[in-house]
Amino acid sequence: MFRQFHLKDIILLAIIGIVFGVIYLATGLLYNGLTIILTPFGYGPMANDITLGIWCMAGPLAAFMLRLPGASFLGEFLSAIVEMLLGDQWGVTTLLSGLVQGIGTELGFTLTLYKMYNWITLLLSATTTTILTFSWDWFRNGYSHFPLSMLIVMLIVRWLSMFFFTGILVKLIINLLNRSHVLTR
Amino acid sequence: MNPSIKLLLLLLISLEISFTNRLFVNLILIICLFIVLIFNKLTWHQFCWLMLIPLIPGIAVLITIGGYGAGHDWLTGWSMVSRFYVYVFAGGVMTFTTSPLTLVRSLEQNCHLPSKFAYGTLAALNILPQIKRNVSTIKVAGKMRGLDLHWWSPTLYFKAILSAIRWSDQLAQAMETHGFREERPRTYATLIPLRWVDWAILIISMVVLQILLIALP
Repeated sequence: MFRQFHLKDIILLAIIGIVFGVIYLATGLLYNGLTIILTPFGYGPMANDITLGIWCMAGPLAAFMLRLPGASFLGEFLSAIVEMLLGDQWGVTTLLSGLVQGIGTELGFTLTLYKMYNWITLLLSATTTTILTFSWDWFRNGYSHFPLSMLIVMLIVRWLSMFFFTGILVKLIINLLNRSHVLTR
Repeated sequence: MNPSIKLLLLLLISLEISFTNRLFVNLILIICLFIVLIFNKLTWHQFCWLMLIPLIPGIAVLITIGGYGAGHDWLTGWSMVSRFYVYVFAGGVMTFTTSPLTLVRSLEQNCHLPSKFAYGTLAALNILPQIKRNVSTIKVAGKMRGLDLHWWSPTLYFKAILSAIRWSDQLAQAMETHGFREERPRTYATLIPLRWVDWAILIISMVVLQILLIALP
């Protein structure tokens, strides 16, 4: 039914992970800057929700490029492995986050049975990723200790971030790739 | 210590402290991980890096939970800060003491990760300097034509992905030319041993962690 992952696909996914990792390095500054600005208002951890969409772009992009079950998960998880090996902020837990984000982005594509690759899929993927990563942060980043009103704001902000980066930006990149006919591998 | 077992142990510790929130246990873990790092020739530069990374998010969470949270729970705030340090120190133990090559070899031999995943990822990782250079080349080329390519520009990603497709083709071809075949049995140049001592360290560490979690406040 579906073809398997070959060496070429795996290398491509890993390189995409690295490319995104290299470009993300610039956003580390953004994350820390936002945290400093938001902390006096009691919303410091929201920097995480604002920027999270950026880290989840590799997954949906890989799914659109390879159109295989597991592509989104692998794209996201491999980029987490690469990030850990490059020595990123969160150390070993990057792997756990990558696992959660990978399953989150993958679920959106699973729900459409890997048959649809359009806006609906991107919206679904953004939503499943938001739900899964928020549940993970409930434990890891201590969200369970935050006031309810703040949690609601953070959940909405996170979904918007997901929609902007893993939805709009990914779709724009895919459009460029489609127009150049490089995806008929 | 066997890299796969080390990774498993660090993952289990990180996972467990994500669901428990004990300041003293976290502090003990930080000290233990720090001792391991010192025995592995931790440099001042690396130490400062490890101390700086969790500082900003740590302070943010501390102020949010202590200053704005229900009940102004400063103790929970501090245990969150210590948790971030455990994460980063655990990451340091993994990345400073084990090279990607050793880890991949161990995952392939000890955990039976398919060789195409092991060497595919490694091949991509080895051209990292080239990828970095390529991203900055794309940016400079854009500037020459009066285009500022930021991290949110689709064009930047598009051009980088074009290079990625080319590299993945070339690398896969190169590996196949050198005799790499998917799903074929392989022999190993370097054997990564998996001894009973590794399992013993894993099990004893986890048992001690459980006792500490139950015994300490």
